[in-house]
Amino acid sequence: MRSLMNLARWEAIVLFFGFIAVVLWKLMTGGISLSYLLDSDIPDADSPTAFSSDVSAGRTQLLVVTLAVAAYYLLQVIQNPREFPQVPTTMIAALGGSHALYLAGKARTLLAGRLKDLFK
Amino acid sequence: MAISDEDKKTFRSWFFGLLIFAIVASILVGIWLHGDPHFKNSTVVLKAAFTFGSLLLVFLFGVVVLAALASGLIDISELIEEESGGTSTSRFQLLIFTFVIGLSFVIVVTCKCEIPSLPANVLALLGVSATTYGVSKGIQFGGKNGNPTEDK
Repeated sequence: MRSLMNLARWEAIVLFFGFIAVVLWKLMTGGISLSYLLDSDIPDADSPTAFSSDVSAGRTQLLVVTLAVAAYYLLQVIQNPREFPQVPTTMIAALGGSHALYLAGKARTLLAGRLKDLFK
Repeated sequence: MAISDEDKKTFRSWFFGLLIFAIVASILVGIWLHGDPHFKNSTVVLKAAFTFGSLLLVFLFGVVVLAALASGLIDISELIEEESGGTSTSRFQLLIFTFVIGLSFVIVVTCKCEIPSLPANVLALLGVSATTYGVSKGIQFGGKNGNPTEDK
């Protein structure tokens, strides 16, 4: 039974790291495109689609905060791999705030025109 | 993207091929364990053979999916893309958190050899991430006259 447990363990490791490796490899080689990652839609009357894109501060801060929290969490797991680490409440609040900021910016850009029409 | 009849036939033959391979392998393991003097109880032999067959089957399915992903047979080029091009930040952050939590889970399980209980803050992290993705899609859908094909 011990060898079966070892087999299951190695299967999980090989498959999970395999999936991560494939996705990372595709991200690095352009198989999964990262273009316009930090761009957001802006209403543009001159554009045929009524929207054009530009670099967004909201998306940039979201990406930075996400990477910071993810790196912190992963480092905690690597330091003590026997249990899930406790994430400080302040960090979850900061992450929530960052996501809220991003969503508010997106809603303001995309829904402002509709809301204006609504209250005319 | 629609799957062609030929692809369906290939998937079906791979599925049944792997299933038969796993069944044959578990029968062979069962016969081998039956001859082992340490395994006197036939229920234990049956359990071990069934577990081995299941593990093998799951692994082989995983390897086939991995190979299909790597070769491009399963197309993941639009994994974090919007419907009309351009990368979605909300999808990208969800991908990062899913991988980080998944990786942590695999690391903890392999080190501790048991299924750990998930703390509330881990669920909160995933919840924030997934909610952002969902709300972002809602805003986008609502902001462009409710027509998802006109996204971005």
